[in-house]
Amino acid sequence: MTTLTASTFDSPTAYSAALGEFVRSDPRAAVFIGYRPPSIEHSSAHLSGLQALLFDEGWSRLGWPETAGGLGGDPRFRAALFQTLWDADIQIPEPFTTLEILVPVLLVFAPHLADELLPGLLRGDDTWAQAFSEPDAGSDLASLRTRLEPDGDGYRLYGQKVWSSFGHLSRRSILLARSGGPGHKGLTMVLVDLDQPGAEVRPIRGQDGENHFSEIFLDGAYLPRERVIGELGQGWAVAMYMLQWERGAWGWLQQGRFHKRLEQALAWAPTDDRHSASLGHGYTLATALRLQTRDTVERLAREEQLGPEVSIDKLLLIDAETAAWNAIREHIGPRFETDPDLHWMLSEFLFSRAAPIYGGSLEIQRTLVAQRVLGMPRN
Amino acid sequence: MRTDTRSNLDSDTLAMLRASLAEVLTETTDVSLSERLVALGWSEVVEADSATALRTLFEIKGDTLSGTDALGPTLADAYAELTGEATVATVSLGEANDVHLTMADGSTRVATASPEVWAALEATGRWLTGCELVGIGHHVIASAVAYTKDREQYGKPIGVFQALQHRLASAYAMVVGAGHLVTQAGIDRSTWTAMVAKCMAGQAAEYACTQAQQCYGAIGFTIEHEFPGYLKRTYALDRQFGDWRSLEHEIGRRLQADGVVPRIGNL
Repeated sequence: MTTLTASTFDSPTAYSAALGEFVRSDPRAAVFIGYRPPSIEHSSAHLSGLQALLFDEGWSRLGWPETAGGLGGDPRFRAALFQTLWDADIQIPEPFTTLEILVPVLLVFAPHLADELLPGLLRGDDTWAQAFSEPDAGSDLASLRTRLEPDGDGYRLYGQKVWSSFGHLSRRSILLARSGGPGHKGLTMVLVDLDQPGAEVRPIRGQDGENHFSEIFLDGAYLPRERVIGELGQGWAVAMYMLQWERGAWGWLQQGRFHKRLEQALAWAPTDDRHSASLGHGYTLATALRLQTRDTVERLAREEQLGPEVSIDKLLLIDAETAAWNAIREHIGPRFETDPDLHWMLSEFLFSRAAPIYGGSLEIQRTLVAQRVLGMPRN
Repeated sequence: MRTDTRSNLDSDTLAMLRASLAEVLTETTDVSLSERLVALGWSEVVEADSATALRTLFEIKGDTLSGTDALGPTLADAYAELTGEATVATVSLGEANDVHLTMADGSTRVATASPEVWAALEATGRWLTGCELVGIGHHVIASAVAYTKDREQYGKPIGVFQALQHRLASAYAMVVGAGHLVTQAGIDRSTWTAMVAKCMAGQAAEYACTQAQQCYGAIGFTIEHEFPGYLKRTYALDRQFGDWRSLEHEIGRRLQADGVVPRIGNL
């Protein structure tokens, strides 16, 4: 079926227009427009159909290298995909956000895994989580204790991970473990199968009743040698590389969500002048985030190596995510908390409160910007 | 520290331009700004990229706290372009549709502009005062950073304390965000982007001043210190063409009235 290539479109804008036309006109896309997820599990199952459709027709393969099952073109195509889906009132499948963070890392540090696994991941046949935090290693990630021990040709993993988003819906997980001594230098990044003896995943029920994240217990789960990402002991460098994608591309994806949700809120509630300033505030900050992360996406597309300045993306994301959702809640009024039809949106709202915590807390980001960007002295 | 990827000017040219503008804007002379800019080769820069040229002029004006009137002549140029009336030296805006003109011979008069012309002048004013506010924001943060490295308490520079680091880091992110908006306002030249840019720049500069002031402590309240000048200029600029709180309200009202959320800036 696939007839698309990167050269089909002069620009991400042209791609965006064509994709918009496709989702509006193709009958197979209709079930995804205006879909309101009743639960994370339902959403995961339903939207894997969207992933298959977008992959089979080629749309989601643009922006990924041909060697790994993509159709070529730079990451701006992926950014345009997110924008187009939001604008068409289509929920972004959660695995796309994971892909955006994990696959660029594979392309650099483990291209053999990207080549082998990207198509299945893109198509939704395979699902991955990420497992970094541990009960005693949050902001101080480098103190983590999950062990990677040699066993024959491969390794075995022992330890406990927590706050792994969508872990219970994932077949594999990227995971940071300790292969050597203490501190940053003893860490190694791996890709481990979760559907094996020695790996147990237990969902954690969140404040909105949804299973947003999981605990992962590792008691001798096997890791073949080729599933090490980068070199043994290179885990911290791999994690740092990952951050530029986590902060930049993720921020771009989120601003698309905020703009769409603001628009939906306007359509669902009568105008009340008391909430105008709050809407103006949320919109202005969402725009600042949009323009900052657009620059970041373009820099990534030019293959520039990004540094600590990507923490600015995260700081602007926190401001925008908080302010936009406050405005939405205030504008919609009391039914926001009580209307069952808005449960899915209340879930998103409650999750937005995590913006200053997930992916490196607000305090960590401010410290990074102060010390590494502004050059303020370290203790 | 700042990138200008949306400019036609290369980074060397831009660095030279910034240095020259800082000189021009701070020298003491009776020669008009327009004439001083001519000597700098301004017309070629404007030719190459007028949005970057003007944005840089006003950012440097903010950075150097220059008292030179750059806005009046720039609005006069805009007025000439919009109306064909080229003999005006400076323009300022009065109540809706009133335009205060100062002619080349020094005489003044008030003209009534069409709503479109007035809105376009207001948008230009918002954009450029927004640029000046961004220049101020970057300046006060950089100065406060330098001060916190120098000033010692408890036997160490106060800049090591995260309480101060976090203030300046969050202000910096806001000012960077505002910088993107004024850049985009120069590209779009739309009334909407100009309004959002001025709103963001006003709050970012005020926030940056508040954070910087806390780092300075009492010394930042003295007339000998440069800081109060930046603070007062920030408040004065915020008031011009709509303060940021009023603009937030106005932006929200427009969103509610139209039911549409414009996406500013495309990939």
